[in-house]
This record gives sequence, C-alpha cells and structure tokens, in this order.
Amino acid sequence: MEVPGAVLRLGSPPWMARWLESEPQPLPGAWFADETPQTEVEVPAFRMDRFPVTVGRFAAFADATGYLTDAERIGYGMVYGERFWEERRGACWRAPGGPGTDAAERPDHPVVHISWNDAVAYARWAGRRLPTEAEWELAARGVRYRIWPWGDRWVPGAANTAELHAGRLDALDGWLDWWRATCREHGPLPRTTPVGAFSPTGDSAHGCSDMAGNVYEWTASPSRLYADDAPCDPALRRVMGRYRVIRGGSWMNFRYQVRCSERMHGDPGGWSNFALGFRCAAPAREESEPDGTGG
Amino acid sequence: MAKILLPAGWTHGARTEFDVPAGPLMEVIKRFAAAHPAHRRRLLGDDGEPLGYFNVYVDDDPVARPDRAAAEIASDSVVVIVPPLAGG
Repeated sequence: MEVPGAVLRLGSPPWMARWLESEPQPLPGAWFADETPQTEVEVPAFRMDRFPVTVGRFAAFADATGYLTDAERIGYGMVYGERFWEERRGACWRAPGGPGTDAAERPDHPVVHISWNDAVAYARWAGRRLPTEAEWELAARGVRYRIWPWGDRWVPGAANTAELHAGRLDALDGWLDWWRATCREHGPLPRTTPVGAFSPTGDSAHGCSDMAGNVYEWTASPSRLYADDAPCDPALRRVMGRYRVIRGGSWMNFRYQVRCSERMHGDPGGWSNFALGFRCAAPAREESEPDGTGG
Repeated sequence: MAKILLPAGWTHGARTEFDVPAGPLMEVIKRFAAAHPAHRRRLLGDDGEPLGYFNVYVDDDPVARPDRAAAEIASDSVVVIVPPLAGG
C-alpha cells in the first residue's frame, strides 16, 4: 500500500495512560509509559505490505535459498504451553506448535517463529526491508491519532485477539483458563488467522490488514525512549538500545495491547516465538514504476 | 543485600524491586523464587532450576546464558530480569 509522507506525532497522548488504568485490564499504567511522550517525526513516503508475510511466501524464500531460521538452527522454539512459556524441541515456522503440527496446512496464515535475523534475511531476498516503527504506526493509524486501525471504538470481531477466541477478557486468569483448556483440546497451536480475514472492517487508515493482532510484527527500529527523561519501567529501561521495537500485538493479547501506538520490545539475538512474525516495507514507487510487489 | 528488579508487567502494579542475599546468580534466583512463589512459574522450570529464556543483566551488563552458572552476585549488585518480549 502506498503511504504518503507525513509529519507524525509518534506515540500516545497523556490521556491514553489514564484511560488504560481506568479500563478493566490487568497491566499497570506505568507498563505503557514507553509510548509517551508523543514525539514529532517526519516520515517520507513509502510502501507497506498489506499483509504480514505468510507461511506460503516464507516457504518460497526457504525453498529458493535453503535458509534455516534461528529456531531451526537451535532446535527449539518458544511456545506457551499449559503452564508457561517453554522451549519446545522442534517448534519452528514449519511446525509452529512443535512436532505434529504442520504450517503447510495453512499457507495463508502469517509465518511465526521468526527472529529479527530471519525477518531481515527474508526482506533482503524479497528486495524489501523491515518498516521503521514510525512507518508502522503511520500505516496503522494515519496522521490522526486513533486507538485501533479502524477507529477509537473497539469492534469485536475486527481483529484476531484473545477475545476473538475466548470472549471478553479482563484479567490474566481468564486468559490462562482459556489457553489451558485450548491446549488440552488442540495442543499449543498458534491461533493465527488467514491474512486479510478481517478486511475491510479491520483495515487500517492506509488499507493495511492485520495491524491489530494476529501476529506480533518486528520493525527495523532499535528500542529507545521517545524522550530521555520519559518515565519508564526500570526493568524495561535496561533493554533500550538492546532490543528492537515490535508492533501490533498478537492473537495472544487483549484488545489493549493491539493498539496502533502500543510498543513492545523484542530481543533481536535469535529469539522468536509462536506468535511473532513480520511484514515488509519498501521505498515509495517512482511515478513511472509499475506496482508489481503485491504491497 | 543485592537487589532483584522485575518488569512491572510481571507484578501487575505491585512492587518490582526486592532485596536478596548475595551469592551465585542461580542460587539468588532460586532463593528469590522460593521466597516469592507468585513469580516461580516465570523463573523456574519443573526441575526447580532457573529457566534460560529470560535475559539477565547484572549492574547493566548482560549475563549470557552459558555464563550464568558461574556468575556471582555481590551485595551491592542489581540483578535485572527481562523477558525476550517486553513492554506494553
């Protein structure tokens, strides 16, 4: 999708933290402080893929290059089991829930178990790149601040979040109850959905799909605070400059963690999990250049 | 006493900083989990040993996974534990 250049006030206004604390969700307001204060950035025009990279597209890359992901090389992937996160032997993009699960059965789902290195390698092969976090947020909400890609009112069924599967969730215990029951019945298979399944209702201001939920998405941007003196959880402050920004939340999250300005931070040193994928960006097309990218 | 610092996302608004006795890093984590069982499932595996998935920083320096068994925590050190997916 073509995204015109713009001056963006990246991040959330002060009322967002107060609103989050007033809502029935389990995380403290301080945990969201890294998305404040808003900071003005100039974003040149660019193209953003409409969808996260799918299993099918990643398979084409792996087949063409013989590329092995970090999870394939180390022999395990992070999966949330009935108890907690675990390093499950054999879990990788081809077997997202571990042995016995097969991503080939869902080629139109977003690929998961993708480390930052894996995402960069794919993007380079595809002649593209990872978006910066400012590009990601601009593609998700446009210049005008909005909570979710479609607007400021939560629309059940417009995105793949935990509520889509479990019904209304206000507390972590409810999530754990749902996930344990799901694991017992189906195993720890990620609850991704085909890309574009919530289009057009869930599409963003610039026509991108799956920007709220489905899979977490890597960006190119190193984690940093929007201002040096910005309030920040002391533990989270330790990873600034070390991690890379992740956007969009995933099928594992409540609606509050799939907001357009929500920031997460991921270890780029080979780590991935069964809810983590990516999408690509590219420079803006020259006027005479045909659009053959599918973006 | 040394200190352990946990992410606020793990404590849901409760305190994130705890005093712990100095000693070998792995023992410090195990003793902390024993004293604060609410955090046990995030820190220890079924075998009672510290899990390897989270990152550990001691006084701002990362402690790589292979180095943790030999790491010693001084009484004026701060041990920061951060999962590989943090924030929000």
